[in-house]
Amino acid sequence: MKLYKKEGNILQILSFPNETVEKGDYLLIEDADAGKALIAQVIDVQFASIPGILEELLRSLPDGGELVQGEDFDPLEIAPHITYIQDASLIVCKIRATVENESLSPSSSWLPSRSQSTIKKVPIPTLLKLAKIDGKLPIVLGGTKDASLLTIDASSLDGRLNIITGKKETGKSHLSKLLILDMIRYKTTVVVFDLNGEYLSLGMTADGKRNAYHDKIHVLSPSQNFKVALKQVHLHILLEILIHALHLPGTSAREFRRIWQSLKERDNLTLRELGEAIRVWHCNQHVRDALFSRYYALVNSGFFTDNIAEATLLEECLLKAKEQGGAIIINLRNTSPIDRQIVVEYLLGKLVELLTSWRLKAVFLFAEEAHLYLRETYWDDIVTRMRHFGIFTTFITNQPDTIRENIYRQADNIFLFNFTNEHDLEVVSRAARVDAETVKSIARDLPPHHCLVLGKVVKDFPMVAKVKALDVKTMGETRLFFKDTN
Amino acid sequence: MKIGETTTGILIAVRGANVWKQNRNYRYVRLGPFVFHITEENKKEVYSALQRAYFNSPHEHNHQSSPNLLQMPTRIASLLERWLQTMLSKTVSNGLILFDGSLTSGTPDTPTQLMRETLEAARKRHNIVLAFSKMTNLRFNGHLITDIPPGYKPPYLLETAGLKSKPPVVLLGDVYVARLTKGNYAFRLDIDKEVPLGQKIDAAEKLLGNDLFSQSYPETLRLAHILCTFTANEVIAMQHFTTRKHRLRIINRPDMHRLLFGPFGRGEGNS
Repeated sequence: MKLYKKEGNILQILSFPNETVEKGDYLLIEDADAGKALIAQVIDVQFASIPGILEELLRSLPDGGELVQGEDFDPLEIAPHITYIQDASLIVCKIRATVENESLSPSSSWLPSRSQSTIKKVPIPTLLKLAKIDGKLPIVLGGTKDASLLTIDASSLDGRLNIITGKKETGKSHLSKLLILDMIRYKTTVVVFDLNGEYLSLGMTADGKRNAYHDKIHVLSPSQNFKVALKQVHLHILLEILIHALHLPGTSAREFRRIWQSLKERDNLTLRELGEAIRVWHCNQHVRDALFSRYYALVNSGFFTDNIAEATLLEECLLKAKEQGGAIIINLRNTSPIDRQIVVEYLLGKLVELLTSWRLKAVFLFAEEAHLYLRETYWDDIVTRMRHFGIFTTFITNQPDTIRENIYRQADNIFLFNFTNEHDLEVVSRAARVDAETVKSIARDLPPHHCLVLGKVVKDFPMVAKVKALDVKTMGETRLFFKDTN
Repeated sequence: MKIGETTTGILIAVRGANVWKQNRNYRYVRLGPFVFHITEENKKEVYSALQRAYFNSPHEHNHQSSPNLLQMPTRIASLLERWLQTMLSKTVSNGLILFDGSLTSGTPDTPTQLMRETLEAARKRHNIVLAFSKMTNLRFNGHLITDIPPGYKPPYLLETAGLKSKPPVVLLGDVYVARLTKGNYAFRLDIDKEVPLGQKIDAAEKLLGNDLFSQSYPETLRLAHILCTFTANEVIAMQHFTTRKHRLRIINRPDMHRLLFGPFGRGEGNS
């Protein structure tokens, strides 16, 4: 390989057919005289612009597009040299760091010698060692191309905002399960908004037996084993539900506040009493109608109960998870969109309440397709305000444009699976911790289950890994009509 | 062509191709590239060795001193071309053989005796040799014969009469201006002198009927040219071959035109 060009932090390197380099590989461009080396990542492999190549190709197709048949008598065997030159490639690399005295700096301001520099591939383990990507709480994500393991530190997810994205069936949920299980292993509290019931069997092995995490996985299904008594709910949480999930107008909300306070003073906060209070409350008929329609929505959700005994599981699970680590899976599979929003509003309010009072230390929240249940104003809340309370969110989505641009800008880590759609790649490339060229070039060619890891977990050295297999029972599979015939 | 310079001489490469049309398909045999390192010391030896190897016997111009170094690419290419022409005339039967160039002999590149033997061998096997020249110096009334305005609707052959060559140059073919398709292009066409007129016309008609013509030029010859021409990519490959295999170091001599005249120097490569 020979250094050809440097423009900004982009390097162009000439490579010959016997030197195999692929997108995602890291190269070390070492200038022995300068005592420094550049670490650059291959973001594209192109054909080198060889003079006369067009003539060469045209010559082989002169007969109306059909190949002219013939024999070549080439006693000096020059043809292999021609092929060698023709197949030369131009490797486009992005400079990631400079190595000097075995320490890394993000500088790309110096120019290595074009004639004297040596270029070689950097094995991933060497790079991991150089960049000090390891730590005391290892999470093995999977294998890299050169058969080494990509291990990240669980603490690099702590206090961070993460995004797992990629098109359908590329392995996003698989990776989030892996992260959840490893986080549980390190005794963290994890809450999962499970839209399709994919995480319900996290505690089971593939053959249906209990696994080591079984006792730490708590599945809460709203209106079944997950209910809330009105007494447990703070007024502001219920108002959030009424205003944001059930769109209660402001005037009616003010009346509701009065009703609520009246019931609370009388220690009568039950569904039945609430209904009765609305009925007899002295107010405008339109307000009453509005309050009644929301009241029945709450009642019909089945999520609220007057039986306190039915409504203790969430707090129990959270406190248990605080002690020994665990995941609370909120099963939203069979929940209507409105009820989903009610549950999420309640849960987020409850988490903030527990975290504010330090009854919980921190929660790692995994939110699948959050746009389906998270109201507009919550996005900013989650990445700014709630982070300070100790809610560290991982968004999982196959529609990257459903996550707002400011979320990408603040994302600390991105786990990117394959995308072919230009628009999707454009959206992801707005993330602050990544350059658009890397995202667009590498993510487009990722095979299924291969993930481009970007951000703090890899110390800003984007790496591709094949996510390791998990012995967990698969759930949430697409129902197929032709399943038996295949 | 010259593909590079070394401290002691030049590197040249030659390649030849035969193209024929068979069952409506064009086929080819391409020979080469042959790469030579020619120095002042070895040029005579190389040239004579090739002459002996190609033609088995020395010809009339052998007594001449070998060409100078700069002429060597053309001269060695001509040797390969003559050898290919000779081989074709000795192996093809009942065919039309198209040569690139003319049937003019008596030049250092084309000994008369050799060309006579080639044409004779072709006739013996019932072939007719037609040679197309892309350029000619022959003039009529001061104009190049190929520039004379067409008086007829193509295709036609315009016979030139009374052409006389200066010794030792000998014209072994009758010279025509061939305008074979519509358009402004005409070529000098030489047809073996010894072939009767009727057969000459017949040969031109058969050629028109069997080969494709674009801009009055036969496709077989066009393909042969394309197949022989070295692309820049091939030149790099041959330089790669010589440096790797024979450890020859190609040097880049400074372009004196560029050096002296800057942007006003056309450069030796363009002169």
